[in-house]
Parts: sequence; C-alpha cells; structure tokens
Amino acid sequence: MKYDVTVIGSGPGGYVAAIRCAQLGMKTAIIEKYDTLGGTCLNVGCIPSKALLDSSEHYHNANTTFKTHGIDLENLQVNMDQMIDRKAQVVKDNVQGIAFLMKKNKIDVHHGLGSFIDKHLIKVTNSEGKTTELETDKVIIATGSKPASLPFIELDKQRVITSTEALELRKVPKHMIIIGGGVIGMEIGSVFGRLGAEISVVEYMDEIIPAMDKSMGKELRKSLKKLGFNFYMGHKVTDVNATSRSVTVAAENKKGETEELKGDYCLVAIGRKPYTEGLGLENVGIATDDKGRIEVDQQLRTKVDNIYAIGDVIKGAMLAHKAEEEGSFVAEIISGQKPHIDYNLIPGVVYTWPEVASVGQSEEQLKEKKVAYKTGIFPFKASGRARASMDTDGLVKVLADEKTDEILGVHMIGPRTADMIAEAVVAMEFRASAEDIARMSHAHPTYTEAFKEAALAATDNRALHI
Amino acid sequence: MSLEIKIPSVGESITEVTIGQWFKKEGDYVEMDEVICELESDKAAFELNAEAAGVLHIKAEEGDTLEIGDVVCEINTEAQADASLNGKPDEKEASEGKKAEEKTVSKPKPTGEVHEMKVPTVGESITEVTLSSWMKQDGDFVELDEVIAEVDSDKATFELPAEAQGILRIVAEEGDAMEIGALICTIEVSEGGAPEKSNTEDNNQEEKAAGTANNDVASYAKGHASPAAAKIIKERGITASQIKGTGKDGRITKEDAEQFDPSKQTQKDTSKIASIKQEAVTPTVAGERNVRREKMSSLRKTVSRRLVSVKNETAMLTTFNEVNMKPIMDLRKQYKEQFKEKYEVSLGFMSFFTKAVTMALKEWPSVNAQIDGNEIVYHDYVDVSIAVSAPKGLMVPVIRNAEDLSFDGIEKEVVRLATKARDGKLSIEEMTGGTFTLTNGGIFGSMLSTPIINAPQSAILGMHNIVERPMAVNGEVKILPIMYVALSYDHRIVDGRESVSFLVRVKELLEDPTRLLLGV
Repeated sequence: MKYDVTVIGSGPGGYVAAIRCAQLGMKTAIIEKYDTLGGTCLNVGCIPSKALLDSSEHYHNANTTFKTHGIDLENLQVNMDQMIDRKAQVVKDNVQGIAFLMKKNKIDVHHGLGSFIDKHLIKVTNSEGKTTELETDKVIIATGSKPASLPFIELDKQRVITSTEALELRKVPKHMIIIGGGVIGMEIGSVFGRLGAEISVVEYMDEIIPAMDKSMGKELRKSLKKLGFNFYMGHKVTDVNATSRSVTVAAENKKGETEELKGDYCLVAIGRKPYTEGLGLENVGIATDDKGRIEVDQQLRTKVDNIYAIGDVIKGAMLAHKAEEEGSFVAEIISGQKPHIDYNLIPGVVYTWPEVASVGQSEEQLKEKKVAYKTGIFPFKASGRARASMDTDGLVKVLADEKTDEILGVHMIGPRTADMIAEAVVAMEFRASAEDIARMSHAHPTYTEAFKEAALAATDNRALHI
Repeated sequence: MSLEIKIPSVGESITEVTIGQWFKKEGDYVEMDEVICELESDKAAFELNAEAAGVLHIKAEEGDTLEIGDVVCEINTEAQADASLNGKPDEKEASEGKKAEEKTVSKPKPTGEVHEMKVPTVGESITEVTLSSWMKQDGDFVELDEVIAEVDSDKATFELPAEAQGILRIVAEEGDAMEIGALICTIEVSEGGAPEKSNTEDNNQEEKAAGTANNDVASYAKGHASPAAAKIIKERGITASQIKGTGKDGRITKEDAEQFDPSKQTQKDTSKIASIKQEAVTPTVAGERNVRREKMSSLRKTVSRRLVSVKNETAMLTTFNEVNMKPIMDLRKQYKEQFKEKYEVSLGFMSFFTKAVTMALKEWPSVNAQIDGNEIVYHDYVDVSIAVSAPKGLMVPVIRNAEDLSFDGIEKEVVRLATKARDGKLSIEEMTGGTFTLTNGGIFGSMLSTPIINAPQSAILGMHNIVERPMAVNGEVKILPIMYVALSYDHRIVDGRESVSFLVRVKELLEDPTRLLLGV
C-alpha cells in the first residue's frame, strides 16, 4: 500500500494530523501500537483523569458543601468499582469516536508497532507478530511520551505506580505519597484526596506547579492544604522502598535532614519522557537529544526531509492541545500552506479544584526579561457567582505592558478557569490591551466577570467590585 | 480705501508668475510688509509683501498664472481700526484682564469652520509629492503656521505649516503620493489658545474619545495580523506592513489579508519594503534566494525620466583628455595648511576645476549656452551645478556666479551645498538654474566615463580618479598623477572645435594653475 502520509501514533497530535492530511486530500495512514486509538490523552491521561476528577469532586461536594446548600445525605459511600467502570466507559466512548473519525476521513488504521525500514518504508508488526509494510511519501512521528522515573526507583506498578496505574485503582489508598508537585501529581492527588486518602507531596522545587506563575502554586497549595494535603517542598527523594503492602519514601530537605514517609502507594509523577522505542529511528539516521527528543526545525521537519515529528516527542510543553496544533500545522506545511503557531499563547491548565489556567508570560519571566508591566488581580471572594456556588478560592491575575497596556500574561486559579482561559488566548492572539477586555461586556453573573475585573484593575486600578 | 496690489516686475525675462501659496486668508488682517503670498516664476520663487496694513481681499487663487502688473489682491486700509478689535482675538482677550484669560484663553472655541489643506504648488515641474511624515497626530490641536507634516517632492523636502488653528484631522497617510491640490488634511478651525492638559474633564474625555474612535492613531497593535490573516499573508508572500488594517486600532483582519491587492499598491508607503521569499522548488536547494521589491521614490522616477529624455532629445557625445595633476597637487601640498588656517575650509580639487571651467567657458560661450525653442540662450555668468550623491539619490545643487568666487568661496559653497544635500535640506532654488555641470566619479574610483548632460544645459565635465601613469615627457618616460577628463556635450549647439578646445583649455589651466591667476 502506498500512502501520501503515514502518521505513527494516534494520540491527539497524530490523529489530528491524520484528519487534517485527509481533509487536504492526501491519502493517509495511521499506525497505533495499542488496540485503541487516542494515545495517552484518551486512554490513560487527560480524559480518564478528568472523569475521575469530576466523580471525586461530586463526592467531595456531597460530603462537604451539600449540607450548607441544604442537602442532607445519609450513608454517603464511595463506590470505587463503579467510578472506575464509568471512567472506562468514558474512555471507550472517546476512543470509538476517534475510530469513527478515521473511517469518516477514509484514513487507514494499522494496529501494530510502526518501525522505519527506510525513509519511505514502514514496517507494522501487530500483536500476533504479523507484519505489513507501508510505502509512504511523508511520515509524521507522533509517538508521544511515557511517564518518567528516577534511576533508583523501581516501578513495580503495584505499590510504586505511575499515573497509568493510579487511574485503575479500585480501592481508595490510605496514604498516597506523591513524588513531584507537577500537574499530574496534583490532579491525581486531588482525586484520592477528595475520596479520603491522606496525600503527601514531595517536591524538589520550592513551589508546586513550578512552571507556572509563582502565585498560582501558592494559591493552589492553600486550597489543597484544606483538602488535607501535606507538602514537603524543597525535598529531594533519596530512596523508595516497597513491600507488598506498603511503601517507604526517604527524602532529604535542604538542611540535609532525611525524612521517612510511609504509605500504601507511591505515585511517581516527576514528568514524562519522549517515547521512540522500537521506532527504528536509527534506520533513517534520526538521532534523539539528551532528553530523548527528536530534533526538528521550525517547520517541525526532522533531519530527514520527508519525516516530521510533533507533540511530546519533540521540544516544548507536553500538552495535548500543543500536539493538536502541531498536527494541523505539519499537515498544512506538507500541503504547501504556511501556518504559524505562537507557542507563547498555548495555555496551560491544571484540573484541580480550584482549576489553574494560564497563558503568556509569568511575572517571573517578565521580571527576568526586564519588561515593565502592571498587574491587575481580582479574587473570586469578591465574585457574586463564586459566592453562590461556594467556590471562592482563587484569583485572576492580568499582566499588561506598563506602556502599551497590551496583555502579556493571564493567570487564573478558581472555578472553571480551564474554560475561562480561552478568552485570554483569543485576546492575546489579537494583541488586546487590558482596557480592551475591561470594555467588553461579560455576562452577569459569571466567573468570567473576574477576568474583566482583573483587566480593569490592570488598566488603571479601577476594578469595580472590590 | 482699498489698495490694489499688483504683480511686481521680478526680472527682465519674466513675463508671468504663478501664485504658489497664500500665507494669508481672505478677510485676514495683514500688517504692512508682512509676507502674504508666494509667487513662482520659471526661474525662482519669491515672496509678496503687503504694501499696506489692512484687510486682505484675494483676487487670484493659488495656481493662477498672472502677468506682470496684474492685480493679486486688494488691501482695505480703512478696516484697520475695526480689524484690530475684531480680527485679532489674542489682543482682545489679553486686554480683558489676566484672570479671565487664565480660564478662557486656554480653551479653544470651535468655530464650526473646517479648513481643507491641500498640497500646495511647490515648484514648476513638480506634479506629485509624497507625504513623508506627520509631525502631528490626528486629533492634535495645531497652531496656525505650526509645522504639521513633511512632504517630499522629487527635488526637495518641504515642511507643511498649518493653514489654520484647530483640531487636525489627517486624510493622507504617511507614504501617500499626492498630486498638487490633493487633500492632505482638514483643520477644524477654532479660536483662542491651545487646550492645556489641566483642562476640564469633559475636554479630556472628548480628546480620548476622539483618539479611540479613530483607527489611524498609533497603537502598538496597528498592523498586527489576526492568526488567520497572518497565515494568508505568509502564503501570499506579502508582509503585514503592506496592508492597511481595518480592525480595531489598525489590526489586520482576515478580510484585509484576503482582499489586499499588491498590484494596486501605488498609494502605499514607498519606504516599506516588500520582501518576497521565493519558495524553493525542491527543499534540497541550498542558499537563500530572496528578491526585494521597493517602490521607486519620486526623486528616482524623475531622475530616470529626465536621463532618458536627455539621451533621446539631444545629440550627445563625449570628448576626452588627460590632465597631469602634479602641479595642482604640489600647490595644494604647499598651501594646504595655510589655506585651511585662513579660510577654515580645505583646499580641494573642486575649486581648481570650477575656476578652470569658468575661465574656459568665458572663452567658449556656446558650451555655457542652452537651447530654448528656436533660440540659443547665452549666459554671461557661470552657474556651476555639482552632482552630489545624497542619501535620497542624485542631487545637483548650483554654485551661483562661480566665475566671481574666490577659491575659498567655491570650497565653502561646495561644503555648504553638499552638507545640505546629505541632510535632504536643499531648496528648489538651490537646485534650479545652472549653466554647466561638474561631476566627479573619481571619488568612487571611476577611471573614465561618459556623463549625461544635465538638461537643459549643453555640457557636463566628468572628473575621474587620479592614477599614476607612465607618461612620455620630452622623450622620457615619467610617472605622473593623471586624471582623465570627459566632456559630454550637445552637438546641436556645440561643435567639435568648441568642445575640444574648451576641454584642452581646461587641461591647460589645470596643468599650469598659474594661468588661473593671470587669465592666460
């Protein structure tokens, strides 16, 4: 079979690239190692974690705020099996949706491990060992990433687990020790924290979600502490020891003192690493860098002129929506168009509650670049909508250029900020000023008013409701 | 009583003039000797002064051509007393006491009148100007005669003074090419002083509202393309700077990018460069293959048009000779320091050449003449045009009555004109006229060239680099610093005998500068 484009990997980067290629009239194939399409995002990442975050948040509200709302419940129980089964159904519906999209766009799906024979020939080996060879003009590598670990940690996947196993736990842990204060750790920690587990977070840096504006981590930590999280900031994990029933984590603080934490699960959530195993990159002469990433140029082309790479397997934030943009981008590049991605305007989101979302520059980045900026902050405490829903934790922060008033960064923590950040992205794509936002009508009462108020505060400190 | 002001006699050969520009408006009060308008003849522009104080009644419009003795305007001298009360708000208000003034003077009163400012006639051959920059922004308050914009013609740069006091409303954009008489801007005329910053709230808000309502205000976002527009721009191989954004604060919308027509871009900024990166046919081709397209400046267009017309309309040919520069070089070496000390200008070759040329031209007047219709115009004077390479292009300022100037006088004039040319400050007068041209390609290393005549002149002398060459002197080979000189001339009025003799004479004078002193 001869294709115009073959995409290796069917995650959000790969399947979007395949659809866009098909839309542009290219004969397209997609190769997926696993039985279901959708990659990490749909199977063991974004979607299942959101399913469990929603379920656990419902339980948590029922357990904590319902009484205040005037709803009395008796015998409130967590049914972990049902929760995991529902999640599995959500995943199933989603991956079937992708399979349908492939069919609709007449994309050939080949299940099996894709491996380069040469730059135009790819061997697909399925689970039964049967091989097929695909001849192709262009190739898009979208093989994604896998959870990363530390050399001294043995991931037994029973007691010492990654996010993949955590999403399958059918019993609420008693004490989950999470190594890493990043997005994945905070989200999974939230799931089990809400369901009653004790959560201890060991983070090497001084703040959680350290890639974001510092104030976000600070605010999130306050909220998570209320949920019962213990934080061990500035702690370096030195040892992880698991038995069949328990796990002990040793961590050293900055003074060199060692602390021992004992729990029933240890979640290793220190990040993810690019995944290129078995891809046969050596057969086409593509090397990976010290972090295992495939190097690409500005057009996301690898050293080999007909092979492109997108998503987690290349540089940049490991985010599904970043991979999706790159998928479309490469498809359009191949068809001769000239698309553009503004990497500064790819939003970052943490689906804890309150949710954290941000786009553009953080205060720390602006300071480092010596950009003169003004800050406008509006706390959800002052939002009527947030009071009504009892979601008063968090704030919206708008950073605008001191002189031009152009919005340079927006950082939100609070209810539904993951959805609210889209407005900031639109504004920044059009280089809107803080006053522009301040002069646009925002429906009342909504959480989005907090963005308008923060914009007013940034314009010239004239927020109305504080 | 009314006094008629007529076109004065401005020069013997001038029979008619054109009204270039009125500095005063109909009904204005003018003082005696105040400049009221600018007149242009085919030779030069001059100013017309009020012959009495009174109220002005204009009889001829800008652009009108009048004969000597025609009535330009009338001045009603009886209106003097009235005018000093009514026509001069400044004085009136000043007399009303300082307290009142502080409150009222600062706030201009709109009169409801809108003054339209059009491109003035700036010179006889100039039909088009380019608006190079706005000094004021749209919505700014401008004083009468305050410079609001800079305009480039193919000859010179002009400052444009406000013709009224009031709020400026910009019509033409920077980079727009406009014909004479085209609308540049309007001024919403107001009386009284300029608004001050500490003015009342509503005044400030008014200004702000005016600012945000208009798309022409300079915003950091002006010309920013939306994501979809940016992609279209890239794919069409154009740049955002070429497109006028119609979105908020001048943002470029998808529609702007789609509808932009590069072929209709004549009105656009000339200085902006459209860089077209050509798509490589195969990705393996090495090296960049960029092509750059720039709009020709009006100066460049005029230069090109004139050069071609000279080539077509004259019988041009070139005669050559060689000059032993040793005597001049020795002379310069000897007196360089003293000359500099005394006159505060360096002694260069230009003064020697100019001197030699003026002397030779006296002897061969046809080389200094020009054709005008069926007549030959001989000049008793020598106005030497010198070709200067200026940032804006080739400029040819004129050294007037060069035959009367001393060495230092010529050198100083050369420095003055070259500096002005470099700064783009040359006036039209400084570039018109000229009876003979000197051009020095030697400064760029030219060995020999055939220069093109600077029409309507009849000859041009090309100077070149000085190179040591073996020369046969009295049967011996000597190494001498030699400059080749070239004289291009219009054979219609200059014959070979005259042109060659002229050039030989120049050579003689240069090779023995003592002759310059004695005139032999």
